[in-house]
Amino acid sequence: MKNFLIIAGSIIAGIAIVSCNKVRRNTGRAYMPDMVYSVAYETYAPTNRLEKSGASYNGRPVEGTIARGDFFPYTLKNDSTSYAQSAATKNPLTPGSIDMKEAERLYLVNCGICHGSKLDGNGPLWKDGSGPFTSAPRNFMTDPVVVNMPEGTMFQSVTYGKNMMGSYASQLSTRQRWMVIAYIKSKQAASAAAKTTVAAADSIKKAMPDSAMKKK
Amino acid sequence: MISSCKPIIQKLTLTLFFVFCFYGITVFAQDGKTLFNSKCAACHNPLKDATGPKLGGVLESDFYGGDIKKVYNWVYNVNKLVASDPHYMALKGQFGSVMTQFDHNSISEKDIDAIFGYIKQYVVDASTPTPPVEGRGGEETSNQNAVIFGIISLILAVIALILMQVNSNLKKMSDDAEGIQRPEPVPFYRNKVYIALVSIVLFIVGGFYLTKGAIGLQRQKDYQPKQPIYYSHRVHAGINQINCLYCHGNAWDSKTAAIPSVNVCMNCHKNISEYTKGPKLYDENGDPIDGTAQIQKLYEYASFDPKRPSSWDPSKAKPIEWERIHSLPDHVYFNHSQHIRAGKVQCQTCHGEITAMDEVKQFSELSMGWCINCHRQTKVDFNYDDKTGNKFYSIYERFHNDFKAGKMDSVTVKDIGGLECQKCHY
Repeated sequence: MKNFLIIAGSIIAGIAIVSCNKVRRNTGRAYMPDMVYSVAYETYAPTNRLEKSGASYNGRPVEGTIARGDFFPYTLKNDSTSYAQSAATKNPLTPGSIDMKEAERLYLVNCGICHGSKLDGNGPLWKDGSGPFTSAPRNFMTDPVVVNMPEGTMFQSVTYGKNMMGSYASQLSTRQRWMVIAYIKSKQAASAAAKTTVAAADSIKKAMPDSAMKKK
Repeated sequence: MISSCKPIIQKLTLTLFFVFCFYGITVFAQDGKTLFNSKCAACHNPLKDATGPKLGGVLESDFYGGDIKKVYNWVYNVNKLVASDPHYMALKGQFGSVMTQFDHNSISEKDIDAIFGYIKQYVVDASTPTPPVEGRGGEETSNQNAVIFGIISLILAVIALILMQVNSNLKKMSDDAEGIQRPEPVPFYRNKVYIALVSIVLFIVGGFYLTKGAIGLQRQKDYQPKQPIYYSHRVHAGINQINCLYCHGNAWDSKTAAIPSVNVCMNCHKNISEYTKGPKLYDENGDPIDGTAQIQKLYEYASFDPKRPSSWDPSKAKPIEWERIHSLPDHVYFNHSQHIRAGKVQCQTCHGEITAMDEVKQFSELSMGWCINCHRQTKVDFNYDDKTGNKFYSIYERFHNDFKAGKMDSVTVKDIGGLECQKCHY
């Protein structure tokens, strides 16, 4: 009797120990599967069955349609001639119609990770070269390339990607991309205005981040 | 006296000399770093090709042969050389773009020296590996405690049983000594009290587990499926501080939070092809995970060749079939934007400390009781007056009047219909 108890006890204890360390890898069962699993196609559901049945489905909006509230599609292509032409494109949003708070949020979520929350090109992925990203993001405040860049060229770069930056067309709608660019331009204008009020010599010193120029 | 002083003075000068030397070197390296980061790093990396070729080892290559003057020549005459020199023409063909030409005002020859000094140092530093930070907490203690308690109660039960046996034996012996005749004791498996006791215990224990199991049907708390790629949320959202909405941006304005497409991964991983700077990663058995190999898996899905980044064709990418973790039954409606945008609920409230999880597991029960409980307790930000407020709440006139009269101090989700059946089931 005693032996039996000891054996049974150790088996239970053993199961307890083993089951405690296991990671749960199964979803478990459902009580009423009819009410749990959707018959209709839901988000994330695989579509291969649909494709096999011959239905015309590619997961993309129908060509030639525009989402309600969005702009006309962007016509320039992803090549160097379009890049040059893009400088002439103007922001279709009037400054008054832009919710700058929302634009700032979009910038911080999507751009700040590399270009920094202060637009100084020093986001958490770069961190003065100690982050994982291997190319320095542009500094919107001091880098003459982006300070003087026309908004249309910025839009082209955000839409198709440029150099090490990827395309943000899948994360930001046309309207959102223009909002972010308006936000960056407004910040650049504010810093330029602040600089002109300070003495010219001081502003040059600020614009040059390297102490090297002074020493040499 | 003087003779004894001499070595000290010597030592002092020597130390000072070394200090200045060292100081000079660090200043030099610092300058090189700032210069490199502000002028070159947007396109060049010391160790790998990016928008432009890698700069480590360029000076020592056959073409330059260690001659820094050739580098000066290139930096100041980019536009001329790229049209005439076959070496640069070939590079233009390979990278598809041309470097910006610099003049002596924007970058001096000394600056170029400093930059190449920094690059040389960078390559040396990178080739001496630093051990990655160990990052694993102890989570074994709670398990061990449970085991210890289990063993102790088992031992106590055995002792109690033995004592009961001893007790009955002693009683029998004393009865025998005093000559009292008692009926033969019934064995415990036929003793009605024992049987009743055991069946009650079995009923309670069995009922408990049966009910628990039945309630747990289709609940997936702690569900942690194996994903096609070992993607660590701790590294991405925790250490690198990527906002949740960067990848799951749909949560802001739609029902679902969206599983990011390969394109979103490639925004950063077009550039980041190695995992070297973060903590060591382990799977659930404690076996180490090679982060670089996981990024390599992503490249296979994206059909991306890290050696020729400019030739990437995103249209050839295949979707990664991530395992879905959180799922609600079909008869429940849940909307992300309603909660995080209108309700201002943090992601972590329901999904737990994602920034500390390597492999994500379901943190909450996602049961109806859990939903209702939160709706009972969560206070609504009822302010609608200023710009940040939600104008919708202006329709609840009675509540606003009660606020003013001091009859109530806060409104919970329950008060504005958070317990209505039709809100979630229809």
